[in-house]
Amino acid sequence: MNHSQAEMPMTLTTYAFAASKTLLALATVAALAAPAHADVLDDVKAHGVLKCGVTLAAPGFSAEDNAGKRTGFDIDLCRAIAAATLGDASKIQLVPMDLKTAFAGLPTGAVDVLTHRFTWTQSRDVGGLKFPKVMFFDGQGFAVAKKTRANKVADLNNATICTAQGSTSELIVADYFRAHKMKYKIVTFASQEQAWDAFVAKRCDAAINDRSALAARLTKLPNKDDFKVLAETLSNEPIGPIVAQGQPRWEAVVRFTLNALVAAEELGVDQANVDAQRSSQSPDVQRLLGVTGEFGSKLGVANDYAYSAIKAVGNYADIWDRSVGPKTPLRLERGRNALVANGGLMMAIPVR
Amino acid sequence: MTVLSRKKMSRAVLMERLPGYVGQALLLAVVAWLAWRGASNFIANARSLGVSIGYGFLRSEAGFEIAQTLIPFGPTSSYRDAVLVAALNTLLVVALAGVFSTLIGLCAAFGRLARNPLLRGAASTYVEVFRNIPLLLQIFFWYFSAMTLLPDVADSLQFGGVLLNNRGLFLPRLLATAAGWTLDLPQAQGFNVSGGFALLPELMALTLGLSIYSGTFLAEIFRAGILSVPRGQAEAAATVGLSGARAAVLIVLPQALRVALPPAAGQYQTLAKASSLAAAIGYPDIMQIVGGTVLSQTSQALEAMALVVLLYAAINLAIAFAVNVANRRLLRRQGR
Repeated sequence: MNHSQAEMPMTLTTYAFAASKTLLALATVAALAAPAHADVLDDVKAHGVLKCGVTLAAPGFSAEDNAGKRTGFDIDLCRAIAAATLGDASKIQLVPMDLKTAFAGLPTGAVDVLTHRFTWTQSRDVGGLKFPKVMFFDGQGFAVAKKTRANKVADLNNATICTAQGSTSELIVADYFRAHKMKYKIVTFASQEQAWDAFVAKRCDAAINDRSALAARLTKLPNKDDFKVLAETLSNEPIGPIVAQGQPRWEAVVRFTLNALVAAEELGVDQANVDAQRSSQSPDVQRLLGVTGEFGSKLGVANDYAYSAIKAVGNYADIWDRSVGPKTPLRLERGRNALVANGGLMMAIPVR
Repeated sequence: MTVLSRKKMSRAVLMERLPGYVGQALLLAVVAWLAWRGASNFIANARSLGVSIGYGFLRSEAGFEIAQTLIPFGPTSSYRDAVLVAALNTLLVVALAGVFSTLIGLCAAFGRLARNPLLRGAASTYVEVFRNIPLLLQIFFWYFSAMTLLPDVADSLQFGGVLLNNRGLFLPRLLATAAGWTLDLPQAQGFNVSGGFALLPELMALTLGLSIYSGTFLAEIFRAGILSVPRGQAEAAATVGLSGARAAVLIVLPQALRVALPPAAGQYQTLAKASSLAAAIGYPDIMQIVGGTVLSQTSQALEAMALVVLLYAAINLAIAFAVNVANRRLLRRQGR
């Protein structure tokens, strides 16, 4: 310290400096320690915009189209929730996130909901991530280069496998290979996108991911015929949007908005006929669309919240067909995701 | 000045400084109070949300594999072991890159000061090019060019007992057996290479990227150090018959280090922090294992991130400490 300058003006600047530092410290600590969310539903309504955390790039689920607009299955779910909560599906803010930022960002309020590709697991649920409703039943599989001549998972002994850090895949591989007394090497990347790029660059013999994601990524490859997905499904992957723990009102809004999309398919209400269906005589349809009952008001949103959501994105089948269905590059069949009536697992909670 | 402050403070000086001391004490109290409030608020919030906090999870079984482990590790090992493996992997790449970047930096520094214009030009070009390209981009470049250029396991390049392919560099290793020492040669086998000691492509790309990038900054730091040594020293060395290289190593370098070491320490710390870019290419370091896999599998985001912060802080403080010790010894030896 230079003592010769310790005169009166110096002390003044010292105070000013100290004061500004105090203010800075105050702001930092306040941001850190304040309860992140009083009530997410109130916050979303107050801000007039819904912040959704989405996958960086998964064709059909969350990817930018040629016009630079992000579209897909997950984006439609975000739009549906915005329509139900705010009455306008366009009032969304999409935040592309990898696993780390997503799981850290949800409890701190960086996003209101993750319409992502994360699997519902016990430790995630207990750890503070709530999955209001499963919207996609998936299972994991391996993609391999045809050149390796691997036809089943058992052929992958000693193989090197690419996947994302902290994904359920990482554990599934470890469990499967341990149970079958097989050896492997794992290379994990920050995101599934990077893991896939490394697999395509031949760093790995196989890539493990949800079968839907493998199908989606394969469609984007120029040499997609050089690869194939092995027939075995190694796991069950129930996937759906995620909200933070301790937000029962918000969790209910998200759950019953998603539920309404499935219920609409069960009742034959779709994007094209939803206006006409408002005058339907069916009590089920009347309750769903808010013509009778107070199902929306009791959730804390407009009574016709389900109508707004269906009007914006359609029912579950509409979303499926538009994003990932047989007429899209992904060509996914409904399979496990068909309605229970059609032999699948998708079912709505009764609206009554 | 320092002599003055060591003496007993006069009353007038104390009175003049008192407001400053009081202000600082108040600020400290406010910060401490805020920190305490923040911490207790956090614990209360976590408790009311039913989120478990604490490091109890470190004892449970990790259940995942890690590509490179310097100590034995498997899916049945604990999360604590995973953290240890990750920390060692970070230390390994930091140590390797530290050594290589120092060598590169020294060569480039002397190169830029050389009389030979070709040498000078090459060293200057190296510094200017690699200093001005983002490190992440360089790491990607090395990694993906390695992937593209290296052959599959079946067509491995072979130099003696060493195998090189897109699964890594495989070196022979000495094994202690009952019969004595045997040489364990790597051999291509099906999907992979068995035997030998493996260097992952991720480790090589990261070491290369970090060394080349840090080398440019170190080169400039060393050059400044060398230039700070008076010309007379080199000339005196020449008159007593030392060759150019010996004069550089014996006379110029030790004096140059006095000036270069403190800023070089900062560069080594930057290198240690930059090693966290490993996550981008899948090298299993602290950021990737602790901040990625452990975090998401336990959902203990705050604890895992705090652990990451702690580990990097510890590594950087250790570097600072080591360089300080080296610096002090250097100064003492040269009788400052």
